[in-house]
Amino acid sequence: MSDSVLTAGSPGHKREPSYLEMDTGHKGIFAWILATDHKRIAQLYFYSMMVMFLVGALIGVLIRLELMAPGRTIMDAQTYNGFFTLHGIIMIFMFVIPGLPAVFGNFVMPIMIGAKDVAFPRVNLLSWYLYVAGGIIVLVSQFVGGGPPDGGWTFYAPYSVKSATNIGMAALGAFMLGFSSILTGLNFLVTIHRLRAPGMDFWKMPLFVWSLYATGWIQILATPVVGITLVLIVFERVFQLGFFDPAFGGDPILFQHLFWIYSHPAVYIMILPAMGAISEIIPTFAQRTIFGYKAIAVSSMLIAFVGYFVWGHHMYTSGMSETAKWVFSFITFLVAIPSAIKVFNWIATLYKGSINIDTPLLYAVAFIFTFMIGGFTGLIIGSVAQDIHLHDTTFVVGHFHYIVFGGVGFAFFGALHYWFPKIYGKMYNAKLANIAWGLFFFGFNVLYFPMFIAGYMGMPRRYFDYLPDFYIPNLISTMGSWFLYAGIILMIYNLVKARRSGPPAPANPWNGVTLEWQIQSPPTYENFDEIPVIKDNPYTFKKESARHE
Amino acid sequence: MFNGTSPFVDGVDNAFLFIVVISLILLVGLTFLMVYFIFRYRKERNPEASQIEGNVTLEVLWTVIPGILVLLMFWYGWKAYTPMREVPENAMVVKAVARMWAFSFEYDNGRKSDKLVVPVNKPVKVVLEAQDVLHAFYIPAFRVKQDMVPGNPQFVWFSSGKTGSYDVFCAEYCGMLHSAMITKVEVVEEADFNGWYNGETLASDEPAGLKLLKENGCISCHSTDGSALVGPSFKGLAGSQRKVTAGGKETEVTADDAYLIRAIREPSAEVAKDFPPIMQPYSLTDEQIAAITDFLKTLR
Amino acid sequence: MSDHSASPAHAHVHRDDTGSKLGMWFFIFTEILLFGALFIVYSVYRFKNQDAFHAAALNLDTVIGTINTVILLVSSATIAMAISALQQKNKRLAIILMIATLALAGGFLVNKYFEWGAKFHHGLYPGAEHLVSLGPGQNQFFFLYFFMTGLHAFHVIVGMGFIIFVMRQVMRDQLTFDNYTRLENAGLYWHLVDLIWIYLFPLFYLIH
Ligand code: HEA
Ligand code: HEA
Ligand code: HEC
Ligand code: CUA
Ligand SMILES: [Cu+2]
Repeated sequence: MSDSVLTAGSPGHKREPSYLEMDTGHKGIFAWILATDHKRIAQLYFYSMMVMFLVGALIGVLIRLELMAPGRTIMDAQTYNGFFTLHGIIMIFMFVIPGLPAVFGNFVMPIMIGAKDVAFPRVNLLSWYLYVAGGIIVLVSQFVGGGPPDGGWTFYAPYSVKSATNIGMAALGAFMLGFSSILTGLNFLVTIHRLRAPGMDFWKMPLFVWSLYATGWIQILATPVVGITLVLIVFERVFQLGFFDPAFGGDPILFQHLFWIYSHPAVYIMILPAMGAISEIIPTFAQRTIFGYKAIAVSSMLIAFVGYFVWGHHMYTSGMSETAKWVFSFITFLVAIPSAIKVFNWIATLYKGSINIDTPLLYAVAFIFTFMIGGFTGLIIGSVAQDIHLHDTTFVVGHFHYIVFGGVGFAFFGALHYWFPKIYGKMYNAKLANIAWGLFFFGFNVLYFPMFIAGYMGMPRRYFDYLPDFYIPNLISTMGSWFLYAGIILMIYNLVKARRSGPPAPANPWNGVTLEWQIQSPPTYENFDEIPVIKDNPYTFKKESARHE
Repeated sequence: MFNGTSPFVDGVDNAFLFIVVISLILLVGLTFLMVYFIFRYRKERNPEASQIEGNVTLEVLWTVIPGILVLLMFWYGWKAYTPMREVPENAMVVKAVARMWAFSFEYDNGRKSDKLVVPVNKPVKVVLEAQDVLHAFYIPAFRVKQDMVPGNPQFVWFSSGKTGSYDVFCAEYCGMLHSAMITKVEVVEEADFNGWYNGETLASDEPAGLKLLKENGCISCHSTDGSALVGPSFKGLAGSQRKVTAGGKETEVTADDAYLIRAIREPSAEVAKDFPPIMQPYSLTDEQIAAITDFLKTLR
Repeated sequence: MSDHSASPAHAHVHRDDTGSKLGMWFFIFTEILLFGALFIVYSVYRFKNQDAFHAAALNLDTVIGTINTVILLVSSATIAMAISALQQKNKRLAIILMIATLALAGGFLVNKYFEWGAKFHHGLYPGAEHLVSLGPGQNQFFFLYFFMTGLHAFHVIVGMGFIIFVMRQVMRDQLTFDNYTRLENAGLYWHLVDLIWIYLFPLFYLIH
């Protein structure tokens, strides 16, 4: 349909010009920032997200250096408070929430269901603009007005209303990011409902698509609540209203309810696509069909649904009613069951496979391991008695880094190594990639495990300074972070080099069976010459399917 | 100090151990299986994969067994929690007031202190109030924690079986010096407590004004040695020329008694230049304020 | 900026009526949850300050409120009729009905303007000495009143923009009797605006 605009493919390859080379009618950078192609938008997200991640990570480095020893180490208290706030906002709202859906969801989901694009390509671009705008607002908030916002990514009132720092602006930025997330979710829902290839019913969708579907529902049904709550905070600050300030009859605990009604489901916005990606990687590298396809698909929906009713577990010490505490604790335990189902099915998928031990599989294994630790510590703090002791201590910080960074982060980088050859048509150096993974995994555990110990000993979080009793775990933790940095820097180096000058990748380097592996690498602008007709379940490994072209 | 005794320590620690043990068994078992499968069924040893699609019995098993386990976990956690809300009738009541960035404690007889002094083996109910923003009252050694919400008093109770000195932290972010909002609970013998409670036994040679500054937490924001903390230092303050913003305009005033009194009772009326308007109004009696201003004048 | 003409980058934008209506419905869900959160805030504070909310509600003008309710209901009907007019190939009538909808929406905003003006005149706005003296409950009532009706008015304005946008497309025959989904979506959105008001009206004006 658009053959007139194709440029010549690189000589020596029989392949068609890819989406990377094709002429969109715009020149230079405009070919990207005005692109509506889902694959290009995925890259826009990827690069902007990596920039934000590196900023957030650099701040993580500085936080760790400050906490290396008691007392002032490298910065003053107010700088520290601004840092962990910015770190949290960036990592949560700009890295792990958009994370896998915006990058890999955008890139492979339409291909996986046999579509040429998402349902609303221009809305897709709009949500990227909102993302960038939100990101810029948050970054600018560091430099103008009352100075870097503090108070943490949770914006608890009334502090967030009273503090002289720039919290209003940061909240506004987070609101924009939420809007961006809503539009992505909406777009994916419609895409999945409307654009599946002929023959692909819901039970033939790859599990990554299932997870995005469940995520989409959370995005459109939970995000507006936090959106309006943040707007209330902004209005309260600008117009001196008192929605949550007790001085005007406001109720700070109500703020926490509204915040967590979104922000707990949000943790499943983060983890579900990660679980989806793992459910793709494992069958591909085990070269066998996934164990318990339906159980995994349904458990995603269950997590999304039950996840709505557990937000109160962040508030056991806030002063809500006793009944609420036990109800929330009870449901919190129930939400662990669907996660358990997934873990068991993944491990069973390895049974009697024919396993290729490649980098993506290593990331998947690391994911399962850290996710289990994160999940089990989640159970510990889901229990009221222990959470009374552990709430707002570094134990909680350990829990969520294990599950957010260890879980979502490992899945993100696993997915990156998995789909990298498809996205760029280049291969990376597998050996370097495995070394980077090893450093990453080792450093990760040394960095975050001591936080459980310090937390159980009673070290509160968001502490710029701490008593000497907590010195040893903090020191170890800081040293662990250095290995982690080494791992990540090596990983980035390896991938950047591969992108520049790696050897060309075949269409199907891992011998995968989902649709994205059946087309050339990198895909053409149109994805498919002919829309495929689907007959089998997505993980049907036949001997003949080994080499497609 | 982390190891204290209170009626909850055993409950919390045992429920914790219960979950940890189950989790460890699962973690080690599942990790072992995963790694074993990867090596046992790697390409070289198992070139042909078996396409097993699932197994309903297994699915049911690994839904039901974790289900039972988590219900047990929930039950232990809840059992360990309920005593925290059941205050014994004979508990001694102490009021704790939090404001940026200090706790102060008030006893029934009006005695005020910046440390929580309690007798050993005596149930103590601490009524928690916050004046400005959220704080949280946290004694790790006793495994108790409760947020302190402005306008909505909360409580915790405990009784300590051992004498000693234990840390009290503020566990809810409350602004710049959140991490410095630390004090102690001193558990002492009954007799020592009564002496402290009723008498001036601990009366030191500190001037009354300084004691008031400590009790009210002023010194967490104001130093007496000239260094600027969150607020201006008290050193050399009295009698000096101050640049302030009053009603949106910058002016200069002399820090006489009247100014100091206003600065304490109505801090937002004149805000010292280069400082944020975050000090809360204090309602102290005339004598107390007089004692403070007298003391401030001695800081040259 | 660069040249937009004949950009193949839009080649993937294809027409799927059901899809775009589905998208609108999802969007409406999010809007309902947006207001849903505010309704929660409202109910909690109403529960805590029953008397104050009661007293404060007496300050609102039920007559203007009722008029505005009727205006919005009628406008919902006119936009629905505009859709069927276009389906029946009656472009002129469709445009007239859309203009009528816009006029009604304008009337709603004018009423709102006078109503808010009166509140300001009586010192019933946030921060006013008179309102502060009435205590926390009444303060909360008026904070919520201004915020929620303000947010609703904002939706009215957005809805008007949407209607103007589709009206221009109808005029230029970009939307026709066999291609009217965008008009339908504007109609759906407008019903949402109406629906929210149907909840706001009793909450603020009627329950005493
Ligand atoms: C990706 C994000 C993510 C995910 C998936 C989770 C998952 C879970 N979280 Fe976590 N959580 C966060 C991110 C996440 N969390 C963040 C960011 C915070 C802090 C916010 C802040 O205050 O800043 C937080 C805080 C937090 C708290 C509040 C702590 C506090 O502030 O006091 C609690 C309390 O209940 C909790 C519990 C849980 C539980 C029970 C799960 C469960 O879903 C976990 C289920 C998984 C498993 C259980 C492991 C796998 C299962 C098996 C191997 C099978 C065998 C197991 C059984 C016996 C069932 N989390
Ligand atoms: C996805 C989420 C995510 C991720 C990945 C991380 C990553 C890291 N976090 Fe995270 N963290 C949060 C989410 C996350 N965090 C959240 C939500 C909070 C709560 C905030 C709050 O309380 O409100 C928090 C809070 C938090 C605290 C607690 C602060 C406190 O309570 O006082 C600490 C302390 O150690 C910490 C440390 C780190 C470290 C060392 C990393 C590191 O692992 C980072 C790793 C990064 C790298 C390894 C990159 C290395 C690369 C470079 C250094 C390259 C240099 C840059 C250029 C060349 C441009 N974080
Ligand atoms: C939360 C921190 C905080 C606490 C606690 C606090 N202050 Fe302040 N105080 C400030 C700040 C900030 C200023 C400067 C801004 C202003 O004038 O309001 C200030 C200003 C003052 C001034 C005027 C100083 C000047 O330079 O003009 C006096 C006097 C004073 N405080 C006394 C007290 C006394 C007495 C107490 C305890 C009863 C106290 N403060 C507790 C933060 C605090
Ligand atoms: Cu008080 Cu933190
Ligand atoms: Cu949660």
